[in-house]
Amino acid sequence: MKEKNSATTASTLGRILATCSKQAKDYGSCVASKVHEIEKDLCLKQFLALKSCMQHTVKIMSPRPSSSQTSVGSGALSHAYIQHPSLRCNVPESRGLFYDDANRLLICVTSSQVFSWETATFNPDVSPSVDSIPEGPILSVRFSLDKKVIAVQRSDCEIQFFHRETKQTLTHKCRAGSESLLGFFWSDSPLCDLAVVKTSGMDLFACDSAMNLRLVETKKVNVNWYIYTHESRLVLLASGLQCKTITGFQLSTAGVVRLPKFEMTLASTESNSKPIISAGDVHLVTVYGRIYCVQVDMEAMLLHTYRFYRDAVVQQGSLPIYSSKLSVSVVDNLLLVHQIDAKVVIIYDLFVDSRAPVSAPLPLLWRGYQGSDTSPQAASKENESPESSTSSENIVMYEDAWTFLVPDLILDQTNKVLWRVHLDLEAISASSSDRTSLLEFLQRRKLEANKAKQLCLGIARALILERRPATQVTQAIDVLVTAYSYSVKAGIYKELKNGKTTATIPTNDGASPDNERGRASGSSIDEEEEEVEMNLPSGSADEQQESQLSSPAISPDELYKFVFASVEETMVDESDYLVAIITEFLRSISAEKLKVDLNIYVMTIRLLARSKRFAELSLFTTNKIIEPSKEVALQLLESGGQDPRVRKLGLDMLRQLSLHHEYISSLVQDGYYLEALRYAQKRKVTSVRSSLFLEAAFASNDMQHLAAILRVLSELIPGFKETSEYYTFHGLLNETSSSVAV
Amino acid sequence: MASMSSGDESLRLCVFDLRRGQTEGQELDKILFFHPPELDVSTQLSVTGLSEGLITFTRLFSPEAACEVIEAERHSHVFYEPEPDIWMVMGMLKEVHSLFVMFHGSVRALLEKEPTGGLTRAQLYPFITDYLSNLFVGKKHQLPNFRETTLSERGTVQMLTLSKDTSLEVQSLVQVLDSCGGNLRCHTMILFQDLLVSTTLSPNDTVNLFTFAVMRLTSQALSSDASSWSYLRKGTGSSEASSRSTSAPLGSDNMHSVIRPLQNDKWTKGKDGFLVTDIWGLETGGSPDSIIPAVWLQQTQERVYLLAYQYKSLTLLLLLSTTAILNGDLSVSDVKQQVIEQASLRIMKIEEKISRGWGGENAYHVKGYRYLVVDSGLEVSRASPSGKVATLAKESLLALNKLREEVDLEKSRAKRQERDLEICIRAKNNAWVITRVTRGKELYMALEKASDTLLDATDAVGRFSNRYCSGAFLMD
Repeated sequence: MKEKNSATTASTLGRILATCSKQAKDYGSCVASKVHEIEKDLCLKQFLALKSCMQHTVKIMSPRPSSSQTSVGSGALSHAYIQHPSLRCNVPESRGLFYDDANRLLICVTSSQVFSWETATFNPDVSPSVDSIPEGPILSVRFSLDKKVIAVQRSDCEIQFFHRETKQTLTHKCRAGSESLLGFFWSDSPLCDLAVVKTSGMDLFACDSAMNLRLVETKKVNVNWYIYTHESRLVLLASGLQCKTITGFQLSTAGVVRLPKFEMTLASTESNSKPIISAGDVHLVTVYGRIYCVQVDMEAMLLHTYRFYRDAVVQQGSLPIYSSKLSVSVVDNLLLVHQIDAKVVIIYDLFVDSRAPVSAPLPLLWRGYQGSDTSPQAASKENESPESSTSSENIVMYEDAWTFLVPDLILDQTNKVLWRVHLDLEAISASSSDRTSLLEFLQRRKLEANKAKQLCLGIARALILERRPATQVTQAIDVLVTAYSYSVKAGIYKELKNGKTTATIPTNDGASPDNERGRASGSSIDEEEEEVEMNLPSGSADEQQESQLSSPAISPDELYKFVFASVEETMVDESDYLVAIITEFLRSISAEKLKVDLNIYVMTIRLLARSKRFAELSLFTTNKIIEPSKEVALQLLESGGQDPRVRKLGLDMLRQLSLHHEYISSLVQDGYYLEALRYAQKRKVTSVRSSLFLEAAFASNDMQHLAAILRVLSELIPGFKETSEYYTFHGLLNETSSSVAV
Repeated sequence: MASMSSGDESLRLCVFDLRRGQTEGQELDKILFFHPPELDVSTQLSVTGLSEGLITFTRLFSPEAACEVIEAERHSHVFYEPEPDIWMVMGMLKEVHSLFVMFHGSVRALLEKEPTGGLTRAQLYPFITDYLSNLFVGKKHQLPNFRETTLSERGTVQMLTLSKDTSLEVQSLVQVLDSCGGNLRCHTMILFQDLLVSTTLSPNDTVNLFTFAVMRLTSQALSSDASSWSYLRKGTGSSEASSRSTSAPLGSDNMHSVIRPLQNDKWTKGKDGFLVTDIWGLETGGSPDSIIPAVWLQQTQERVYLLAYQYKSLTLLLLLSTTAILNGDLSVSDVKQQVIEQASLRIMKIEEKISRGWGGENAYHVKGYRYLVVDSGLEVSRASPSGKVATLAKESLLALNKLREEVDLEKSRAKRQERDLEICIRAKNNAWVITRVTRGKELYMALEKASDTLLDATDAVGRFSNRYCSGAFLMD
């Protein structure tokens, strides 16, 4: 047995090493070359590469049987990953790859053709549109915003425009010699349609349907380089010897706004007293609807952040740099700083004031397969397939040919593939210890709202099950309730607004709490699915599940169902603790003026009664912390089996709610026949049969009661003495005791 | 056994144990407390002898349960002479006993621990004297004015009605206070002025602690201390009696352990917001924890330390397990620190919120009605403000008194069973005095509109019941 095991291990290791041979060799040679001066982390780069490669291989080779899309790689040490399949753009005779961020087009050009792929949906099967253009050098390509015109920069003084329908062509040239063309971009501002950036400034043009360019305005600035992103509509023009003087314009739908000129921070050292900022050192970052600029200061090894306001540019603090090469991505409003040399990515959430990273630096992972067919067969089949030139052997993380595109794409120029960067929310959650901040973080996620929501529910459950201090759980609950309240107010939480079936949680992911959840939600699953279909546009099943939630907000009802109700059974002996937490939950709900499923009240009564906390039960009921309802009253009656005072609270509630029938039945059950009769008469309740009183009195064996009731009934109901009921009970009475006169 | 008679102007109150002094010449040993103490021994003996005789006599007719005017609680009985205002006296006797037990444990347990009865006497004398000194207004020992007490019920708490929001804030605070005691659950009680806001104690313990808090701890009790004390110093009877009674009948060896929890003017508010007293300060003197006030909880038969925190009108009582503190699992100063750190801000906010919504002393006045509602199950009562009750005509008050006596008699006859009662009396001044007792809830009411018919009056009661008692009192 033992031998067999070790043989398996050896062969596994062998296979891993075979797969990662390049990385292993690199690491080995690095260590070997520096063996005399070896110290910790000297060959960190090579080691991280090897480690990440080995992790991938292990993942691919030994998928867990229960693994679903979420569990692949959840054990691997990474918080961000790129995932198969990629978008392939390998066109024969390709002369270059470009990305048009305004239209989200990946563009591949040959000498006379332009291939363009839509990347917005990131569908690997999408076929490119092909346009023919005259031959010539291509420095950059951008489609107009209506995609009718293709603009191609031919040289540093010439841009050509091709109309895709009319095949019309237009050439725009700038004055040769005195100025050179740095680039151009299309704009949707009302003032202009096209901006051309030259060393002497920026020209803004209007362009009509006949492709006539009309110069609208010129912004005169000396420009060394510029950056622009369509999502921010912001262009930054760098000038000065060190290129650290920045002039910014926002070409938004509101018009062209000139931002205050500002200087970037740049440290100087003895060896480099006048460092120069290049375009690659500056990135525009759009998160949470705010625009930031991040700038590399290599001498200081810092990444400075600036936030743009309408009338000011404010430096926001700096992040440390661990690599001489750096790039950034934005995924789901998070800033991912790729430390390219170290082959790790650090995630920051600029929403919070703290500039501490969301989690520790870890490598970017490559994930092989999505979906449930992570079987080895499927893996090998994929490896064998001729198309699959990007199997794990060919992917080198952070290789030089990688280009980082705004906001979350990576273009691998070598393999001619496009990757999208994903976050592994589970891994981030798993590595975070401060759960309140983690919940806040997860509640801010939009891209994988459903996953974030599930994680939040899991965290809330875990906090309670681990019996964390009530203050800590309270904070967590407050975060969730506040986030929900906000998302309802902001109108993000649309799906749940109209329907009562608030639980739109898919029940097919294999995480263990689902069993409980399925039980708790019970029959409502079918309704949920109907609602999903009604609300959602077409899309693949997987996407539908992911996209059905636009917000990870958790309604109070869901919190009750998936957190409180699901932990109640396991925490039977911890009623006090649960009551403390539910009290805080109710306070949070009430503070936000939200409503909650009345079952939470029923549960609270059950818990208070179980721990015999009568005083509080009474306070909760009389002060309406527990809102009156029939269900609540019935629970009080049931829990009142142990304490007659609790039962009385239930009776009082029935009466207050005018639930005449239930009230009278309960009175009779408790032996208050006359009070019940009196009530029935006062409230003119006719639904209660007279036999109810008679039978109850007879069953109690108190013949005096029976006699009294017979008498009252015969006075109350005209002709009662003639009914068979009267005869029956009168007869019974006489049989049992002849001494009681009626 | 306690006996009280108020036949003539002065009041006699005696606590005696029938099991003691059985042999000739040892009769004095029966007496555990006698008031007034200056009464000669032979009179004391004759009073107790008469009481004993009455009790023994009535036992002949009802050997199982002693006659209804004897309040049985295991072996300690409360006996009183049936004179006017009986129900009131009864309430007082019950109350003083409950309070005594809360601070000292049961009299029986004390006697078992120390058979000579010296310690019991030493504790009883000052305790009851302090209690009486608090009740009596005027030079002579007179029972409290019936004008003030006709529409009130001893042995119940008065609750503050809170909005849902405030109530949730309060309950949240209760949870925070609870957590200040570490892993052990610590009971809490919160008062606003002299109204109960929240409690986690059983009804009995709540009533006892509430009574004590209203007497000595609430913001009003603290501020009124000065005035009542100045009276007591002027009054000759009680203050002399109390000083004498503590020393007179005792052996000196027990002196050091006598504590007088009901002593007036002994509580002050410390800088940190906690109330301090030196009443318990004499107990041992060792660790600072030993001078913390302590009480017995009936429900759990547990001795707990009593911490009182006050912010403006809000008084918070925290009860900490003495065993936990003696074991060193918990320290009082830590708990205090926790309360200040975790809860003081919330306490401030809640006080502010309640004060803002508080309708003042006439908050629970209902125009046209003078009422008392008692829920004996919850041991809660609510009544018209005393200032409004005082406006009732003497005839109405007398009729009300009569009515209450009647109900008490009826209740004691029914023993533990719940009775359904409805009595309407037309007083001499044509006022309607009405009571309705149903399923453990009692309503007493005076309606002084002379032109009303009985039908009008019962309608008025019905409206009141529906509006303010969620329809608990159905009228025929």
